[in-house]
Amino acid sequence: MIDFLAKKLDWLDVHQLFYIFNDLSLFYIIIPFFVLELIRYAYLKRLDKDLVLDSIANVITFGGFFLVEVILGILAITKVYYWVYNNISLPHLELNWATVICCVLLADFAYYWEHRTMHRIGIGWATHTVHHSSPHFNMSVAYRFGPLDAIMPVVFSLPIVMLGFDPILVLLSEVFVQVFQTLLHTEIIGKLTKPIEFIFNTPSHHRVHHGSNRQYWDKNYAGILIIWDRMLGTFEPEKEKVVYGISQPINSVNPIVVFFHGISRFVKKLGQIKGFSNKLLAFLKPPDWMPKQ
Amino acid sequence: MKNSTLVFRSLGIIIFLAGLAHLFSFGVDVSDDTPTLTSETPSEPMEQGKVATPAENTETDFLTDQWKVAYNTDDFKGAIIYSIKKEGKVYNAYTHQYEDENGYAEKAEGSKALTITSFNGSKGKGIYNIEYEGKQYEVDCKIAQVDENTFTLSYDYYGYGDVETWKRH
Repeated sequence: MIDFLAKKLDWLDVHQLFYIFNDLSLFYIIIPFFVLELIRYAYLKRLDKDLVLDSIANVITFGGFFLVEVILGILAITKVYYWVYNNISLPHLELNWATVICCVLLADFAYYWEHRTMHRIGIGWATHTVHHSSPHFNMSVAYRFGPLDAIMPVVFSLPIVMLGFDPILVLLSEVFVQVFQTLLHTEIIGKLTKPIEFIFNTPSHHRVHHGSNRQYWDKNYAGILIIWDRMLGTFEPEKEKVVYGISQPINSVNPIVVFFHGISRFVKKLGQIKGFSNKLLAFLKPPDWMPKQ
Repeated sequence: MKNSTLVFRSLGIIIFLAGLAHLFSFGVDVSDDTPTLTSETPSEPMEQGKVATPAENTETDFLTDQWKVAYNTDDFKGAIIYSIKKEGKVYNAYTHQYEDENGYAEKAEGSKALTITSFNGSKGKGIYNIEYEGKQYEVDCKIAQVDENTFTLSYDYYGYGDVETWKRH
């Protein structure tokens, strides 16, 4: 076992493995599953114009997010990652099964904190609220992103590079966590067996995360492992029927409105806040924070 | 949950996972990579009149010489002669001479091309400086002795890899 974990791997094999999970999963699981969800919606007589337009808006917001991601990637991310890796990191780790597994787990843990931060600071919620604003819950919602959603992961994954992990491995691991997360956006799968529900993030746990019911707010931030939530006090099981969306619904399927509503609401809020320091604090304080007037 | 509890639990998780990765990279290593570049003096005093054995491991003297490597790439066709010297606890290889495919030789600038950080007489590890599209990259490499006048140097950099044969010059 130890020999297996310590055995040096070839980059081509690792790339191939992540390619199968990260890239090809869109075709062999995500799209077929979404089609299945549409059939289910039709069977339940819930397949209406609003749902179809909402799904289209989701995919369009992903286009905006992807554009920002590509620009950031080309301009900065890879350069920053490699600068950190070459200048301020621990000794560079070999590529073996142990480092790949540890890197995925660390990327998952970084995702937990990044996600929690997105919910708990003003500027984070201004962009992440887009993802939560759909009143529906299906795989297309996983692609509903806000304009600044690509920035926060960089901040949280750089420490992993500083620990000696290869920047490419870190990026591939981050995408792997996101792909796993995508598969959780479904109402088709109920609760799974107890050991799985105890260790892993499941559709049930993630439905809770998307709930606008008061007891479900700011719960179940996990990516792959729900044990992070259990260990850090943010776990909530699915009990009451989940009502999806946010406390102040946007009531729109216009992709532009969907994509920018969080930022525009945040700008409006800044306009209502008096004092420069208070305006700055609004970026870092919780989304519902307002200064005492 | 208290913030201090969050911090300590998070640090514990990070240290555990990163530590495990470092353990499997540097702690649990295959035995053939164990460095034996030692220059320790014998622990017992030499008897008078007895010929002293060299303090350095003679197996690693294998490396200290000039080595010729043939290349046949789009960038360069010919051979490079490297000079490997022991410097401190590592072995460094410097470019000594370039030879084109017609055999014309030209003295090299003497830049460092390879650092062998560990070598046990048959296998070792190092850092190889490769140039690709005008940019320099430092790549982890492995060396393995083939016979007393040959060793191979292999590397894999995100799928771009090669195995070079270094022959004693």
